[in-house]
Amino acid sequence: MAKKTSLDGLDSAPRWIVMFLGAYVTVNLFVLYLWNAAGQVFSVQGTSDSPSALSLTGMAAVDLWLCLVVLRSFPAGAPLRSTWMLITLAAAARAASGVLTEFLGTNWLLNPLMWSAQPKSGLIEQIRHSALIAGGPIRLAILAAAMLAVLRILRKFGFWARPTVTDWAVSGIVCMFTLSRFGEACAASLAGRQISQEDWISLAGLPILCVLSLEAMLLRRSVARMGNGLITRGWVALECGILLTVAGEVALWVIPHYSQTLPLTMFCALMPVTIGSVFALVPAYQLVAQRRAMRLAGSPPEDSPEGVPELAR
Amino acid sequence: MHTRSAALIAFCDAETGAYRSRRIARHLSKCETCRDQLRRIESEKDELSSAGARAPAIGGPQGLAGVLSAIAAWQDGQSCAAASELKSRLQWQIETYFGSPAVRVVERPGIRAEELLGRTSEILDVFLGPNAAEAVRDDVLSGLAFAGPAGETC
Repeated sequence: MAKKTSLDGLDSAPRWIVMFLGAYVTVNLFVLYLWNAAGQVFSVQGTSDSPSALSLTGMAAVDLWLCLVVLRSFPAGAPLRSTWMLITLAAAARAASGVLTEFLGTNWLLNPLMWSAQPKSGLIEQIRHSALIAGGPIRLAILAAAMLAVLRILRKFGFWARPTVTDWAVSGIVCMFTLSRFGEACAASLAGRQISQEDWISLAGLPILCVLSLEAMLLRRSVARMGNGLITRGWVALECGILLTVAGEVALWVIPHYSQTLPLTMFCALMPVTIGSVFALVPAYQLVAQRRAMRLAGSPPEDSPEGVPELAR
Repeated sequence: MHTRSAALIAFCDAETGAYRSRRIARHLSKCETCRDQLRRIESEKDELSSAGARAPAIGGPQGLAGVLSAIAAWQDGQSCAAASELKSRLQWQIETYFGSPAVRVVERPGIRAEELLGRTSEILDVFLGPNAAEAVRDDVLSGLAFAGPAGETC
């Protein structure tokens, strides 16, 4: 059977996402190379993060749209309906957070809250914090619930696998990281240093990340029992998205502690777009599987190329 | 010019007229080839008559049972082939949508084709959505003379 290489329609959504991510990462790495080649005469830390914010919000919107298309195919009462509902809510939280943070939560010219004679800085700050909560702890909690639902269904169909030492070790590392972050925050608080609201919001999401990391490892084991099919790829993308989120959180904390030379802004620009793209692959692969099934039903079977029943032929 | 086979058969069965019979008899007295042909026709006729006498009458109970068992045997063969084809199609679908290891999880040893169809339908229904799962089911069953539980014997 000839492999379809067309880039038309939703069937090629995963390819488009991967191509976009590839181009984005390539451009960023090229900039980093130029920066190194130029002898680091200008600061990449100081560059604007608008392109990454736009890419991130755009990818979140694509993710939400794809999730809504998938959700429509699961009617009320379908076992995976609740899982897809939660994944869609998580995508909506991410998209809303992106729009609110970048459009209403930033002091820029196109923000309508800045147009009045007295800019409402307090309101802008509140919107930004609400957006961070929606895109942080709330989204992670929704994802944890979605993961729990899908793990239950996988268990029901015999795809359950017990966590191994590696799974516990990964979760243990994430727990240790969480404890370190909380310890650092407590120490700073006791020393009388102010902890920003952004930091508190980030800390609130860490316990959920511990749960998510364990769930992601369990999903990885369960999916390994399935294989590499069209449906499986979506769940692999979900597991990768969560593990990348965890890795990103750890890296964002570790890099400034141990290295001052790595351009953190570049990493901050690359990581969220990569994570956003991987999450968008979840509904994209699901759609590929569904559309393939529907396309097969619409076309004549392979053993009767002209659609003439075998008996009649 | 030799006499045609159809005319010889009719001559054998005494179905030719008096004039034509005389002509054929005259030709047979002179032609060795046609005599051989007539002998062959007569021997085949005898074989058919004896076989007919040995075979039970189709109208009788034994004849009907024979015909029915022959039909059942033919249907069993068809059903076996259909069940085997159905299983291989279902395995291919599971492999496509989930992966090769999933086939071992879904297909237990000695599972019947209709059970495998049920399990595959259920799992596809859950993970793919009812419409897409139905489309896969239709695709699997298309052009397949699968009689289902009653017809399946292998």
